[in-house]
Amino acid sequence: MSRSQETLSLKRKRPEPNALALTPENVLLNLIKSKGDMGIWKADMKRETNLSEPVVTKALKALQGRNLIKEVVNIQNKGRKHYMAAEFEPSKELTGGAWYTEGNLDKDFIDILKKSCSKIIGKFKVATAQGVYDFCKDNKIISVDITTQQILEILRSMVLDNEIVEVKSTGLGEFHKIPVGTVCYRTASGMGLGQGPKVGAMASIPCGACPRINQCTPDGIISPKTCKYYQKWLDFGI
Amino acid sequence: MASQYGIKLAVYLVSSYFGDLVAKVCECLLRRGTLPWRSIVQFTELNPTQVKNSLLVLIQHNCVQAFAMEQEGVFGEAPKVVTQYMALFDNIIHHMRFPKFLAIVSEELGKECEEILEGLLQHGRLSLNQILDRHKETSNQSGGNCTAQDALQKNFSRLLCVRYVERCPAHEPFIAPPNEEGAAVKKRGAKSAKVTEELQTIEQRALAAAAPMEALRFLFETYTETDDHELESEENLSNMEVGQKRKHVDSEAGTNKRKKEVLWRANFEQFVRRLRHKACIENARTRLDDGAAIVLSAILEASRSSETKVKVESSIPLSMNTIFEEVMKSEDGRIMTLEHVRTALAQLAAISIDETYSVDLKSIIELAQNEEVESIVLKRYGREAYRMFRLLSKAGHLLETDKISDTTFVEKKETAKILFKLWKDDYLHMEKIVASAGRQSQFLLWKVNKHSLWGHVLDEMYHAALNLRIRNAHEQEQEKEILQIPREKLVGDLEKRSKRLRKVRIVLESSLMRLDEAIMIFHDF
Repeated sequence: MSRSQETLSLKRKRPEPNALALTPENVLLNLIKSKGDMGIWKADMKRETNLSEPVVTKALKALQGRNLIKEVVNIQNKGRKHYMAAEFEPSKELTGGAWYTEGNLDKDFIDILKKSCSKIIGKFKVATAQGVYDFCKDNKIISVDITTQQILEILRSMVLDNEIVEVKSTGLGEFHKIPVGTVCYRTASGMGLGQGPKVGAMASIPCGACPRINQCTPDGIISPKTCKYYQKWLDFGI
Repeated sequence: MASQYGIKLAVYLVSSYFGDLVAKVCECLLRRGTLPWRSIVQFTELNPTQVKNSLLVLIQHNCVQAFAMEQEGVFGEAPKVVTQYMALFDNIIHHMRFPKFLAIVSEELGKECEEILEGLLQHGRLSLNQILDRHKETSNQSGGNCTAQDALQKNFSRLLCVRYVERCPAHEPFIAPPNEEGAAVKKRGAKSAKVTEELQTIEQRALAAAAPMEALRFLFETYTETDDHELESEENLSNMEVGQKRKHVDSEAGTNKRKKEVLWRANFEQFVRRLRHKACIENARTRLDDGAAIVLSAILEASRSSETKVKVESSIPLSMNTIFEEVMKSEDGRIMTLEHVRTALAQLAAISIDETYSVDLKSIIELAQNEEVESIVLKRYGREAYRMFRLLSKAGHLLETDKISDTTFVEKKETAKILFKLWKDDYLHMEKIVASAGRQSQFLLWKVNKHSLWGHVLDEMYHAALNLRIRNAHEQEQEKEILQIPREKLVGDLEKRSKRLRKVRIVLESSLMRLDEAIMIFHDF
């Protein structure tokens, strides 16, 4: 589609070369095209072309109407009007990468992927990123196109969540199918089996989560003797 | 120097065990550092006798160590020897761990040994005769029972053999002033010279000088006269420098023939080491599996006698045969095959050199520290912050906001917000970089500064431990009347209140126990 448009615009331009530098529309179009897949913000256009706000707005509207340019979302600054020539696809910097759709982080998609990965690793006990990817492909678990890199990113974030553990294959026991030294992932074994993060000693008492511990003193206004978090904690309903 | 709340907790403990006067003296030493007796009197504004008695109590309970140091005379006077007193912060905090120490001995050596240790913990330091007397009192025996005495001595030497009990350090070692260190070190002989070379502060030097020689520390013998004389002359020497304190005690003792006996005390170091081992084993059990825990426990058991200090970085290298032999000794270990042991060693990431295996204990402790801090982050700041904190903690270097956002799957704006919150509470370190070129002119870089954060977390844990103790005391105080009513009369509402009180106490005390384990992971291990 973009190729045909490009030839179309080229055809249109050739017969009237003088018009290129004259109309605001063409000035803007050239500027926008020169920015490639990064696009440009409306205020920057105004600054670079020295055109007034109404002129720019009108020209952009016209160009959009002729399908020569499009408005894109820049995740760095969602409020800004950002334009790009129709033949380009927004760069990773603008979209935020594969995990963003229309400038928003696709949390549902990520969650689905996470759940699938956790099931697959639970089934295999130990698996490499490639192994998980192959299993997804072979069994058509995920309908959308994904890459091994994406699976790897998902697995790494699950490691950060402490849902799975990153280990190097020793080639022994459960690793017998995986070459020694390969990075693989497995469910957290032992007693913390798939339970995620362990609750520490400090985190399990009110002081561990207390936002006001800095103001708390033995005989102060905030004190363990009068603490409402303690009150709640020690209220057993007897 | 102990942290702010560490000191507060220590003072609270001393105050609840030995009263406010002693606590005041102790606080003065903890806050101002090592001081001579005169300065303590001056700072605390207590009368000299009170200070002296408080110091005696603290020394008896191993919370204070005295040492003598030469001080330059003012106004051209000759230099004089002044006795300095230093508070032993760790030993004070150990007081709240006594139930744990007793449990260890009860489990490993049985009830009789536990009773002996209990006496030592209660009284701080005791001679063997005092231990015998105490035993007679508690067991209601009409003295002179030889077999009982033999049994007691046997149990005592068992305690000594596993180093849970040690000879008390010298009352008042003489420390050369810092500027003459070189000359003094040579005088004091090769052994202490070796120790002092590595140490810096006067306090550390004093502790090293006070500690009995390794050969003598766990030596147990029935006393002969010669032994006594030797010790006595030694004591006399030091007593002259101690000043009035000893003389006072002696004169009070009146006509009693002064007979010096070896004093014994619980060896906290060995208990801390045992608890460290236990913590490592439990960590291996939860993180890996039972097999790994059994093997690690066997390794630590086999190398028990050859360890010298508490914070060893890795276990002593052992051969496969030695490890397997030790594994077989335990009931759970008997089912393990050689292959199983090998897998467990691999899980523990044991470093193998020349067919010997050594486990990196320091990294296990560090993992446990990480876990503790991460779980606080999770509780206080939520799951996304937890993910970011783990990322930064694992990376160990600066990361840029966008990179963090990409890896943790959090919206960029949200990421910045969370990171900022963590930074505000001192959980993260931030650096700003202003780039002159490019569209984005300012980058924020983040990292976890473990050293300062760990100190901060430890202080908060001391604070929380203090809070738990205060709350528990407060609850008991509130329901004082119920505690005085005999159990049969507790009916209806009273029964409910008594039940609640019991439950509150269990919850608070068990929480304190767990919290103390975490404190040890950060401070003692």
